[in-house]
Amino acid sequence: MTSVGSSLVEVAAQLLQRDEREAVLGDLVEAGESAWQALLDVLSLVLLRRAILWKSWRPWLAAFGLTVPGSFLLMGTSVSVSQMFLQMSGHNILNGDRLKTFHGLVYLLCEVFLLLACSWAGGFVTALVSRRTLWVSAALCGLACLFCLASFRIESLSRISLLLFLVPAILGVRRGLGITRIKLISAIILALAITILMVPILRGGRSRALSWTLVWPAWAPVGYRTFSCQGGALAIPS
Amino acid sequence: MMGEFEYLLITTAAGLGDGAYGASIRKELAVATGRRCSLGALYTTIDRLEKKGLLQTRMGDATPQRGGRAKRMVRVTAKGVRAAKDFYDTVTRVSRSVSWTVNRTGRTS
Repeated sequence: MTSVGSSLVEVAAQLLQRDEREAVLGDLVEAGESAWQALLDVLSLVLLRRAILWKSWRPWLAAFGLTVPGSFLLMGTSVSVSQMFLQMSGHNILNGDRLKTFHGLVYLLCEVFLLLACSWAGGFVTALVSRRTLWVSAALCGLACLFCLASFRIESLSRISLLLFLVPAILGVRRGLGITRIKLISAIILALAITILMVPILRGGRSRALSWTLVWPAWAPVGYRTFSCQGGALAIPS
Repeated sequence: MMGEFEYLLITTAAGLGDGAYGASIRKELAVATGRRCSLGALYTTIDRLEKKGLLQTRMGDATPQRGGRAKRMVRVTAKGVRAAKDFYDTVTRVSRSVSWTVNRTGRTS
């Protein structure tokens, strides 16, 4: 193999797990294959490995059951929170009378908490359900953001207001990637808090179906923990 | 029942014994079938067979002719031997009455 060719093969092999990379690169050296053929071999193995992941329900759930609908709903919530915050600060964009009351303030706080908690829970569950296809979920979330940024038409709000959910969602993903076990009690507390705080939001007139779509990721770890009990904590598969 | 390529791989590994690892299996398969075996097919099939309990793998020693890289050694389990024998018996049984079966005298029956 030429030095450029072997470098390309080494780079492609970085997409494999450590032990497999060792074995594959050794096999290629022993077989004395050309750099081009070795590169094709490694890339085909990488593609097969990635494709096999999608035989499970997990990546599909993470990407299309959670990331895509969750991104759109959370962008809607982000805009809603931004609008209410502007109204509370004296900008009269919508029918803002209600928001000047104590009830309006509670409503805003609930929305803010729900935005933070649902975004965090969404990111957490996405990383938990399928960490090895997380890049696909991230790309889908990016596409949803680009689509909404391109069609954003509210002049009084900055486009950045669409992306308020991203920071807690990224923190949730980091937490989901960082742990291998989660305590049942923590999962229940988060899920209950989100569900209870959703009640005033539902009374405020938001669509029930949309609201419950945001709630289910919070209950996912509880359900998973209940149905796959292993000792005192939830074992998270990679 | 195992697939055709799974049978080929497990039989080749059994034939190689302690010398069964990725490159040696691939070389033997190419000689036996006359076709090149891709690394993707080889390693994903090894993983599948290992999950079924028909093979066991472990990382072996690194050797200079492999650029100091370790081998992934392959060993056929007792369950793998039984599964391969079942496959062979089935193929032999189903092939008895067909015209392309070559009998012991070398003529087709």
